[in-house]
Amino acid sequence: MSDTILAVENVCKRFAGRIALDQVSIDVARGSITGVIGPNGSGKSTLFNIIAGTLRPDEGSVLVDGRNITSATAAEICGLGVARTFQISRLFAEMTVLENLVAVARGIDDRAVIALALELLDFLEISGIADRWGSELSYGQRKLVEIARALMLQPRIMLLDEPFAGINPRLQNRIVEHLRTLCAKGITVFFIDHEMRIVLKECDLVYVLAEGRLIARGDTQTVRNDAKVLQAYF
Amino acid sequence: MKKINPLGIAGVAGIVALVLPFVGSDYAVSFSIQLLIFLVLAYSWNLIGGYTGYTHFGQVSFFGIGAYVGSLLIFHWDVPWYLAAIVAGFAGAAFAIPLGGAMLRLKGPFFAIGMFGLTRVLEAFALGFDSITHGGTGIYLKPVSDLRPLYCVVAAVAAVMLLLTWKLDNSRLGLKLLAIREDENAAESLGIPTTRLKIGAFVASAIAPAVMGSLYAVYLGFIDPPTAFAPNIELTTIAMVLLGGMGTVLGPLCGAVVLSVVNEVLWANYPQIYLASVGVIILLAVLFMPRGIVSLGMKSGWLATGRPLFRRLAARAGQTS
Repeated sequence: MSDTILAVENVCKRFAGRIALDQVSIDVARGSITGVIGPNGSGKSTLFNIIAGTLRPDEGSVLVDGRNITSATAAEICGLGVARTFQISRLFAEMTVLENLVAVARGIDDRAVIALALELLDFLEISGIADRWGSELSYGQRKLVEIARALMLQPRIMLLDEPFAGINPRLQNRIVEHLRTLCAKGITVFFIDHEMRIVLKECDLVYVLAEGRLIARGDTQTVRNDAKVLQAYF
Repeated sequence: MKKINPLGIAGVAGIVALVLPFVGSDYAVSFSIQLLIFLVLAYSWNLIGGYTGYTHFGQVSFFGIGAYVGSLLIFHWDVPWYLAAIVAGFAGAAFAIPLGGAMLRLKGPFFAIGMFGLTRVLEAFALGFDSITHGGTGIYLKPVSDLRPLYCVVAAVAAVMLLLTWKLDNSRLGLKLLAIREDENAAESLGIPTTRLKIGAFVASAIAPAVMGSLYAVYLGFIDPPTAFAPNIELTTIAMVLLGGMGTVLGPLCGAVVLSVVNEVLWANYPQIYLASVGVIILLAVLFMPRGIVSLGMKSGWLATGRPLFRRLAARAGQTS
């Protein structure tokens, strides 16, 4: 089995003539924590939407474990073990937290689903809010529930869209610990964020996008000292 | 506070429904048939409009198709009315499968209005093709001497719809439909097969209205296009679900009972202002109870929030872990 679990090859995407992604290629190693950074409007969320099947690329391809998923539906991609969270929370507001988790589970009986949901809520230390409505949660709680909901799909790859945005450092550290634990269990974590403290400390590999182009890739040290990154980001 | 079990309320309604034909007057039975027909329509609409979030103004299309299929079978071939109703149900499903595939590509107001347009097309078809449908003259059926057997069949269908809704509300399938209502793109991204589920809910929501259409024609002893495809039937059904609470087990029951009784009382006592009064009641309900009567029960703590099956399973899992 290859070490690359997710490969994005020469992907281009245009919106009404405006280039959102231009020949972007990315490899994500199995079991790694890989980050994507870039200024607002650099194409990060577009990249995630293409990987997750919400958007189709105009050119290029996306492969999961060597299988081309470029024309697969979002649900099919999910079935291959790719689960995601969203930049702006998209919890099902009129369901309880527990129901949010149960709703997306597949293929196992109700008791097993509930047991898994409770285990995940426990793992993320949010068991106490299992009966709360999605609409009643704080911003940080929503982030955690979204992670739990993605984990209900028992994914091989987690795509996390700005998991650290807008939450306090203590909760950020908790999420980091959870992500490390997931990685240790063999789940690949691929995330977008602006939180440089975390990205430059936790990632095995970092990609930097600016204006739809990939301007740098490498370990945190390489990226930190890259002139193009410094110019685009700082 | 002790919560009310939705099945308990349904049980009380069931007992009343069982006793009624033996103790009630002909008027009471006749009124109850109408109420129960609307109850079935409300539960059916609740599947696609309430749970799946695809509100639309075209359910009366299936009602009308059922009315004509049933009436023509009875009129031309003397098929027993209950068999005609079953065939009408199949006809509704057969019509809904391709229609769902085509129409559910639309969303929001486009779907709602598209379905309304379809109803008007079907009504025009029923008026125009008089060699089949007898056009504006309508089809006259042999009057039913005793309404009680008809009542029993309609009540049985209503009970089945209530139980199916309760089952759905306590299932993961129900949660997946609610997820589509809440955020279809997010649901799809999280692996929920939205297209398949939407079409399934749409087809399921078409069967009982077609059956009811056929039984309604038998009840009236007559059917013509304005009766079969009446916008009033559609609007009353939607108003009942809105009043009771969309996407809930008890919502259609509460809405259908309250609105039918209020309708009847106002119509009997204040015929001049009956329609305006009903309109005002619906307007006030939507303004001050946008989530229906059931939401009042939830706010006051009489009704549980969330689905009981999952709470029970979670509690049991919590005890054993």
